Amino acid sequence: MVAQPRIVVTGLGLVTPVATGRRQTWERLLAGADGISPVQSFSTEKFNVHLGAEVHDFAAADHLRNLDPTTLGRASQLAAAAARLALDDARIDPASLDPNRAGVALGTTSGEPLEVERFDDRLVADQLDRVGDEFIRLYPCHMIAAHVAAEVGFAGVNTMIPTACAAGNYAIAHASDALRWDRAEVMLAGGADSFSRITYTGFARLGAIAPELCQPFDRDRKGMIPGEGAAILVLETLERALARNATIYAEVAGYGLTCDAHHMTAAHPEGEGALRAMTAALNESGLHPDAVSYISAHGTGTPTNDRLESKAFRRLFGTRSKRTPTSSIKSMIGHTMGAASAIEAAVCALAVAENRVPPTMNFRQPDPDCDLDCIANEAREMPVEVAMNNAYAFGGNNASVIFRKCHP
Amino acid sequence: MKPSQATQRIAKRVVITGIGLVTPLGDDPEELFAALCDGRSGVATIENFDTELLPYRQGGEIRDFKPADYLGSKNLRPLDRTGRLAAAAAHNALLDAGWSEEARADHTIGLVLGTLFGSVHTISQFDCRALTAGPMYAKPLDFANSVINAAAGQTAIWHRLPGVNTTIAGGPAAGLQALGYAADLISSGRAKILLAGGADEMCYESYVGYHRGGLVCGGTGNAGSASRQPPHPIPFDGRRNGFAPAEGAAFLVLEEEEAARQRGARILATVRGHATTFDTSLATDTAATSASLSRAVGQALARAQCTVDEISAVSASANGAVRGDAVEATALADALANRTDAVPITAIKSMLGEPMGAGGALQVATLVTSLAHRTLPGIAGFSQPEKAVTLGGLSAETRKLPQSRAPIGLATALGLQGPSAALLIEGGADDGTSHHV
Amino acid sequence: METVTIRSKIKEIISNITSIETGEIRDSASFVDDLDLDSLSMLEIGVDVAYEFKLEIPEEELSQLRTLNDSVALVESYLSRQEPQVKAS
Repeated sequence: MVAQPRIVVTGLGLVTPVATGRRQTWERLLAGADGISPVQSFSTEKFNVHLGAEVHDFAAADHLRNLDPTTLGRASQLAAAAARLALDDARIDPASLDPNRAGVALGTTSGEPLEVERFDDRLVADQLDRVGDEFIRLYPCHMIAAHVAAEVGFAGVNTMIPTACAAGNYAIAHASDALRWDRAEVMLAGGADSFSRITYTGFARLGAIAPELCQPFDRDRKGMIPGEGAAILVLETLERALARNATIYAEVAGYGLTCDAHHMTAAHPEGEGALRAMTAALNESGLHPDAVSYISAHGTGTPTNDRLESKAFRRLFGTRSKRTPTSSIKSMIGHTMGAASAIEAAVCALAVAENRVPPTMNFRQPDPDCDLDCIANEAREMPVEVAMNNAYAFGGNNASVIFRKCHP
Repeated sequence: MKPSQATQRIAKRVVITGIGLVTPLGDDPEELFAALCDGRSGVATIENFDTELLPYRQGGEIRDFKPADYLGSKNLRPLDRTGRLAAAAAHNALLDAGWSEEARADHTIGLVLGTLFGSVHTISQFDCRALTAGPMYAKPLDFANSVINAAAGQTAIWHRLPGVNTTIAGGPAAGLQALGYAADLISSGRAKILLAGGADEMCYESYVGYHRGGLVCGGTGNAGSASRQPPHPIPFDGRRNGFAPAEGAAFLVLEEEEAARQRGARILATVRGHATTFDTSLATDTAATSASLSRAVGQALARAQCTVDEISAVSASANGAVRGDAVEATALADALANRTDAVPITAIKSMLGEPMGAGGALQVATLVTSLAHRTLPGIAGFSQPEKAVTLGGLSAETRKLPQSRAPIGLATALGLQGPSAALLIEGGADDGTSHHV
Repeated sequence: METVTIRSKIKEIISNITSIETGEIRDSASFVDDLDLDSLSMLEIGVDVAYEFKLEIPEEELSQLRTLNDSVALVESYLSRQEPQVKAS
């Protein structure tokens, strides 16, 4: 059998609650930045929680060169900007590519929820006559991948994967396979979500939103904080990256996708699906669990997620789970939904490239149920040979992706 | 086009071993096929929701859908309509392929589901109750289904499917994209058994959206035309003026051929190749859109290592849309090249309406049955193409397909605003067996 | 409001969420042991009960509901707190 082509990350585009751009975001995350502030997108007067991780001061027009940003939903704007940033970061001029061999795979939780919210506002106000063609034009979630491809002129594979909060990892898995299977030579992969009243209402009703701080793995953690953002990774084959002398952040060594098939919103009590996803990802990468240098945890900060994720770590690593540096940047940028695992994938790639790992902020009291080295409150310089990125979602979807230092 | 090295590298053949569907024309592939061959329509005046304020009221509803018939007496409340349709179709597909609950206990079956909306009805209902009553009264069970992958998740929970669980969005192209992705996952060895297909429901919110987008049949269709006829979708016909929104769910069971043979599975067809492409004009430039779909067909043929000469039949995604059908016709005329006049083409959405995420799997399911019977349903209501269309294979009549040892069927799909997909299957010999031994 | 009315309204809510006929729901029914409900469905019952009786019940109390009798008692206690206000207005 002919060897599979190796897939590498050569560009990163980030739009997050702490900064826009790869360098700025990374420095802010390493510095323990706080991207959480009172919600501005809508009134939280009737809620018992008020904080969110919104992207402030973002103007899509600063980034888009082809599409008119006013004709795009917000998630599309965030994603298209991230795509431009990623291609620039990769030093790829999209016009130099064969458009038919350049593709896009993106994940999302809610697509363009602001469009259905606008629809609902009219519905409850008995003003449905004011709904025009914009609802069907902008709302379908595949328009995020469509807008990105239209912005950068990519005419190949175009896949929108709405697998909720694990969607970014699903999209990276799909995109890396599209390259392995020779369906494309360059792929943009990642995820995007916009700050949404619907999402906020839902998590507030579940009692899952923290009133003040997102404190993953802390004994007193009280929940997650919804956020928004986008991240896009440029993926290509190692051969192509070497040929064009690209900067390689990391290699996508393998992934695992599983389904708990247990409950829509509650994770499996033994972390079964999460464990299978991590194991599959390591197996494909040809790595023993001991080889993992850093874990970017799903780490939402809800009591249940962090406890079960920690349990899955113990099952995988045994006593070594206490010593495997693990952090959740959700402590700083909240839970950016479909963008989350894409942003965290970028973090893994940067950790591998620079031997630095971001902290879990707001960590005060250890929790015996989360007996981890969670890189408390301060970034660390350490050798990072292998980084594992975990993501879990409604629907019982689990996704782990392994990033490894690229040794051509 | 020469198949690339990577194409040859993907060694495992992917076969279809089961079909499960719920449609306005029945829940059995043979029953659906018979209805389509008879030209029966599943499109009628909508009953599920109030259409009083809507000028056009045609839709493809599943009128007597009783989820308990498929899913038993367990509490169905956690599933919304899209979830129930998907879980019901999955039940039928698993049963058809011989994957009973006991049989699949030791197998990691996964799911790839195509959809447009998931359930925009659930999402909107959730939001509206919170808006009117206050966020504290938002319904938790509805929130669980507000994610677009809810139907895939619910189906996996219901049938205990622990494998990969992916949802692909893309409107009418999502189904073929899902089937293609699933086939790749199997042929590359990443998965062994997958349910692949899609689902979408009929609901007020999406109907209003399509209607305001000027997409629903019965409307004025072509700008400038004052005619409000015909009320039914007539794919590829010069008189068409839109599609009939519809609902449904369909899954095919895809398996690695060798394993399927070892377990003695009945093999219905082989997935030969597929491709997806994108039109960067977002379907504003019709020439670019048809070139994109034509390119998908060309790439699928290359992947399948076959030529247009081998294609016995086409199942198109044409649904009566004014622009979309013209684009697909041009693309097919281009892709079929020297056989533009010869290859019979069907458009099942003339009778099923446009079931969005379910469309691709229904097109392929119909092709599987058509190739087995060597018979292709006609396009209901079709009488004259528009002038520019040069396809010879369009007909209202149900046609016999030529005898062939291993007939190839092509399914094509055009998504909303950009995505295109093409997929080729190979039917078995006409004694119902596959010739690959 | 009469206890029996409250009870019958709550039974209807439970029936909608569980697909169990109201006649088969015992007064002492436990959501977990008798009705096999998960926490999401229990929360749904709490939310629908609060909605039906137009009550503002804090999160902590809603998530404590474990039986039909709990729910009836909670509603009665909230309604009794509200009644003086109703009379005053």
